Amino acid sequence: MKRCITKGLVLAALLIMAMCVLSACGESAEEGNTGSSNGITIFNSKMEIQDQMLQMAERYTEKTGVPVEVYYSSDTVSAHLATKYASNNPYTLSMVDAKDVYSLAEEHAVDLSDQKWVGDTQYAIEIGGKTYGFPVCIEARGVIYNKDAIEKTTGRKFKPEDYRTNKAFAKLLKDLKKGGMESPTGVMKEDWSLGAHFLAQVYEERDDPDAFVRGLSDGSVKLMKDKKFNALMDTFDLLMNNSYSKASAISAEREVTEQKLAEGEIAFLFGGNWDWSVLSAYDYTENMGLMPVPQDLDDGMNQKLVGGGSKYFFIDSSSNTSDEQRQQAKDFLNWLVYEEEGQSFLVDDCALVPAFSNITKKVVDPLGASVKVYADKGALIPNYNYLPDDHYAILGAMFQKYLAGKSDRKGLAKDVTTYWKTKTLKPHEN
Amino acid sequence: MERNTMSYKSKQFLMFAGPALVLFCMVIIIPFLYGLYLTFTSWDGVSADKPFVGIANYISAFKDAYFWASMGRTIVYSAFAVVFVNAVAFALAYLVTSGIKGQNFFRAGFFIPNLIGGIVLGYVWKFVFNRAFVAIGEAVVAGTVPSLLSSTGGAMFCLVLVSVWQYAGYMMLIYVAGFMGVSDSLKEAAMIDGCTPAQAMRNVTIPLMRTSFVTCIFLSITRCFVVYDVNLSLTKGEPFNSSVLAAMHVYNKAFIYKDYGTGQAEALILFIVCAIIGIAQVYIGKKGEVQA
Repeated sequence: MKRCITKGLVLAALLIMAMCVLSACGESAEEGNTGSSNGITIFNSKMEIQDQMLQMAERYTEKTGVPVEVYYSSDTVSAHLATKYASNNPYTLSMVDAKDVYSLAEEHAVDLSDQKWVGDTQYAIEIGGKTYGFPVCIEARGVIYNKDAIEKTTGRKFKPEDYRTNKAFAKLLKDLKKGGMESPTGVMKEDWSLGAHFLAQVYEERDDPDAFVRGLSDGSVKLMKDKKFNALMDTFDLLMNNSYSKASAISAEREVTEQKLAEGEIAFLFGGNWDWSVLSAYDYTENMGLMPVPQDLDDGMNQKLVGGGSKYFFIDSSSNTSDEQRQQAKDFLNWLVYEEEGQSFLVDDCALVPAFSNITKKVVDPLGASVKVYADKGALIPNYNYLPDDHYAILGAMFQKYLAGKSDRKGLAKDVTTYWKTKTLKPHEN
Repeated sequence: MERNTMSYKSKQFLMFAGPALVLFCMVIIIPFLYGLYLTFTSWDGVSADKPFVGIANYISAFKDAYFWASMGRTIVYSAFAVVFVNAVAFALAYLVTSGIKGQNFFRAGFFIPNLIGGIVLGYVWKFVFNRAFVAIGEAVVAGTVPSLLSSTGGAMFCLVLVSVWQYAGYMMLIYVAGFMGVSDSLKEAAMIDGCTPAQAMRNVTIPLMRTSFVTCIFLSITRCFVVYDVNLSLTKGEPFNSSVLAAMHVYNKAFIYKDYGTGQAEALILFIVCAIIGIAQVYIGKKGEVQA
């Protein structure tokens, strides 16, 4: 009997361990051997261009003789790179988000300040006077509109610049409803859309975002009295209250919302040019675009989109990568910017908005074209890339509460304030 | 050949258990110890240096209100899931051993959900909850019906429901084995002595099936405590992070919020809680075991 218990205990312990291990593996299944000394390996973190990347790699190898391998992972970028660094098997070129460049560059990236392309872009990431991040494209957010649907319903021409204020926008929504479009807007309930994109505009759309965030963090900012917060929330209320999913906002699926927008069942959705990859999967119209978020403030921010460089390449500086590989990686980046084929790959094949002023190719998708127009006239409000990593998830959840009607503006303001009180911003430069 | 020497015995041991032992050490013991070491550092997951910070991570883990909230939810979820999984599994096992027509077919049928991966299963049910049930509801009440997944209690209910659906078939197999292990002669003897079928079940069959219960409850507790896949694909923690279970919080903490040390410390706490509950349950369960 006694032995039976001990045996049982041992068995139990083993089983628990097995469970824990089983639940923990599963993540690192797609490892490739990336350690060869000739040729470059590229980590792609933009799922929608993976096919194009693979084809481009083949063409590039054929032409230059440099072997190129492209990898993709659906893991969080930093988590995936962490496993690669932990196994001493990093990629030559890694495509990451801006905040990853800030956290990785000084230790893992090569200084690219001497590269020619640095002079042709204003979106590269510089830390301590050294350029580390090569901007892959420009992305910006605002309100996506479906021009055809609006004009068909109201019977007049739609010019986005006529609807810069909350008042004008509200009137248009009313007209749309009168014209038979029952609910002219949609709202994405995803935490990144609410927390990282919409709420972040409260920080970004001002002269000194850093001072504002510091103010939140030390408690000197009173959010409920903040004009920008109130102006943006007024517009959010418009989007929310006229949404097709008003009754069940929190279970609205992104695909359904985008399908409705693409097919003209709704007319407006807060989003960005990345949404094109979803919109274009449906029966879409070319007559769509991005406009600034309307708001009743005359600080000029309602004439600009928020955005800038998105996704950055950096080159690995560790001893796992040879100098020859590093040179090949630099050549590849130059090929993207200066060769007709490279430019065509970025703009035509991947439908990205190029971040380099020397690339004059026409952007193919309508949302990207909107972004390009704003970027060319310098009307992009830069992203604030220094938010804590859990910001979007925690405050996104609080924002979802607001969206579901479980909290009001005061409650949301309080949640934001409470969150920031526990945070201290990491030191960074502007 | 001398079979009683130490060297012979250890050779025999290494020959049979050696390969498994090496693998076990490599994929479980060493990572476990390394993970333990990482809980004492403030490593961010990618950096080359791992600054030693002592027990700071444990302190912040204990202070992490979101972690304890997710732990509380996990305990509530596990309690409901374990009870229902076992109740349903036992009932199913009783049905498919009672000699109904086509019982082998039913056995296979009930087991199938367990063969579908948790991720796929989560997405399938998400569709069912968000579209199918909503469509049916709207047809019935002629108005908009919010999805179950969009309310806080509803999302947890869905998690329990899907877990029961997923695990009940698997546990059923163990109970089936338990039922078949109880010899008919004992039941018959009880009936001859005047037991009703219900009494025979309560006083003869169930006590003899105690091993099955211990195994099933142990398996369901440990599975529920570390559930991640269904949680991820079915609710993703939504709405408003109200359905984030402990394993998901640990993953987010370590890899998404990039607080690796604290996340790892929380994982260890989760492991210890899970181990204590699991072992205690097995100990108590085994204690009262009877043999025919």
